[in-house]
Amino acid sequence: MTNTAPENIYLDYAAATPVDTRVLDAMLPYFSDVFYNPSAPYALARRARTAFEDARAALAHCIGARPMSITLTAGATEANNLAFASVDGTVLTDAIEHESTLSCARARRHILVDVTREGFVTPSAIAAALTPDVELVSVALANGEIGTVQNLREIAAVVKAERQRRLEAGEAHPLWLHTDASQAAGALSLNVSTLEADLVTISAAKIYGPKQVGLLWASDDVKLRPLVLGGGQEGGLRSGTENVPGVIGFAKALQIATAERTQESRRLAQLRDQLQRTLLQEFPWAVVSGPKKSRWRLPGLLHISFPGLEARRLVILLDQRGVSVGTGSACAASKMRISHVLTAIGADEATAAGSLRITLGRPTTRAQVEAAARIIIDVVNAERQRLGIR
Amino acid sequence: MGKKVFVGMSGGVDSSLSAALLVEQGYDVKGIYMRNWSQDLPGFKCPWAEDLADAERVAVMLGIDLEVWDYEEQYKRDVVDYLVDSYQRGCTPNPDVMCNEKIKFGVFAKKAFAEGADFIATGHYARVRYEEGKPAHLLRAADEHKDQTYFLWRVPGSVLSRVIFPIGDIANKEVVREMAAARGLEVAEKPDSDGICFIGPIGIQQFLLSQLERKPGDIVEFETGDVLGRHDGAFLFTVGQRKGLDLGGGPARYVVKTDTANNVVYVSADKTCPALWTREIVLDDCKWVSGAAPAAHGYLIRSRHTRKLEEARIEVDPRDASKARVCFDEPVRTVAPGQAVSIYDGLECLGGGIVSGNL
Repeated sequence: MTNTAPENIYLDYAAATPVDTRVLDAMLPYFSDVFYNPSAPYALARRARTAFEDARAALAHCIGARPMSITLTAGATEANNLAFASVDGTVLTDAIEHESTLSCARARRHILVDVTREGFVTPSAIAAALTPDVELVSVALANGEIGTVQNLREIAAVVKAERQRRLEAGEAHPLWLHTDASQAAGALSLNVSTLEADLVTISAAKIYGPKQVGLLWASDDVKLRPLVLGGGQEGGLRSGTENVPGVIGFAKALQIATAERTQESRRLAQLRDQLQRTLLQEFPWAVVSGPKKSRWRLPGLLHISFPGLEARRLVILLDQRGVSVGTGSACAASKMRISHVLTAIGADEATAAGSLRITLGRPTTRAQVEAAARIIIDVVNAERQRLGIR
Repeated sequence: MGKKVFVGMSGGVDSSLSAALLVEQGYDVKGIYMRNWSQDLPGFKCPWAEDLADAERVAVMLGIDLEVWDYEEQYKRDVVDYLVDSYQRGCTPNPDVMCNEKIKFGVFAKKAFAEGADFIATGHYARVRYEEGKPAHLLRAADEHKDQTYFLWRVPGSVLSRVIFPIGDIANKEVVREMAAARGLEVAEKPDSDGICFIGPIGIQQFLLSQLERKPGDIVEFETGDVLGRHDGAFLFTVGQRKGLDLGGGPARYVVKTDTANNVVYVSADKTCPALWTREIVLDDCKWVSGAAPAAHGYLIRSRHTRKLEEARIEVDPRDASKARVCFDEPVRTVAPGQAVSIYDGLECLGGGIVSGNL
């Protein structure tokens, strides 16, 4: 090892993205210059109000929705909570959801469906689990840990059929489909009419926008109920003075993501595939989780396991060499539990314990991926040698 | 490869440096993180996650394995429940003494030896003098200020002969930190852990109230019998305690006695109050490092981790080596029942006992 500090190679974009400078530039005037409370009655405040509503309109435009059907929240977790609060009955979700969705489900009568080994929620699993008292089905558009992109339209068809059945049977229980598209927003088209969901969550933090800014889109049929009471902002659905710079940044971030999505997804997929090839060539015994077909996997995500090795050690060793990656195993401390996602796809303990989640992002370069691959190979080899694994 | 040592690693600077020194000395080292019981507090999801992560970073850096051994159940039973029971009976126990005896040098040592360890090691400030074929001797650390033999006197010499305290010879904590920093250990600047580890930030009184029924009673002036105020349970108070009485002004008052049977706390404003002073402390449940009780003689004793060594004559009951009396020439402050007293001949810790009363 050399004495000079290694170049930092950040490869954990599923956890956090840097705010894009274009986004930051768009936000900056709204901190100290146009700082006014959008609800204030004077002309200056109108500038803030207008900019804020323009941003809402821009967000709506990006997802093919009407501005008034968007509720702005402090992040995706709150948006998910708001979606769940719209129903009283049983909720149905799957075993690989994000903690915010799972926690909302656990707080209510709920049904959890299993996923396939590739992490797919199948329409037949939803159909089989869908009881007459279910009022909300929640399936994330893409999973942030293993990258599985769901075929949401097939799931929507099942929901629609059940809704039709209830209508014909004269049953009164409503039924909505919610999707958390936070992890998908950078990579997939988010047009609400083609998604065919009734509720959609999006986060700014995962698309190079600010943290603690998100939205919930709801179709006209869904009646949302507020969780945060106060001054009645957001049509009474989310009180609290509007986060003007945050929402302006969010709009800019989503516009950029929408404009660059196709090209950027292709670039990230190529880099990811290159990284995967390099690592598998060196370690043919390594296990890649998530869908085999590239088009059903988030483009910048590689979930790779080195069975027999301890991922938490690998993360520390990589960190020492300047490479920041996530681990597939959850909170190391909580009784050595492995990630619920890996448990759900049936990963064995050794595979789960040895898994890294590597996510590439907009600033990632080919040179960085090549350097990271070399360092990962070094570190994995060093650990194998230390443990006497051939 | 050298002899096999299993070192208890807590993620703190002392055990981290201990592990590093053992590696440098050529031992075949394995780190063990002992998971103890910890109360789930709102807002602290995994209170020990950061300590484990620190230990893990050190282990990775040293190129040694780190395993997590779960002692949650034993710790709850032998340390936490013991602590709560003791307080309930009006005693003020020392959980660290029990943790060392039952966990670190009890079940941990046993498992380590069963799994092939030649030695176990910890980051305690203490020293061991080995004697071929005989139980080892326990000596105070080079750093008298940090010396932890007060917590180790219940560990038998037969176990100590297979124990290494790698930092017991280091002059002081500053040197420990410097040595850790020189080795690039990130924990070099980590603050010392303070207080009872499993209670963390909430404090002993609040912890006890979370475990035991609140039991309101009177605070009575020792000399006059006047009721001065109310308390939430006599078990919450310890002789000598000044804080937490909440008597609303007036002179500073000290707890001179607690009567848990009748749930009364006696206080006095008089520092010379005879109930605060004693010439003789009675010990129960004594343990002797060598296995043999010392002859009646003048020794040094310590009745609190932070209190100075005091001279005293120790008289062990000739019929029962688990009972002893500690006699002083001059009156000393009384020691709360349940507290530990460790006994020394020069540098050597001979053992100690648990205070059952003051005469």
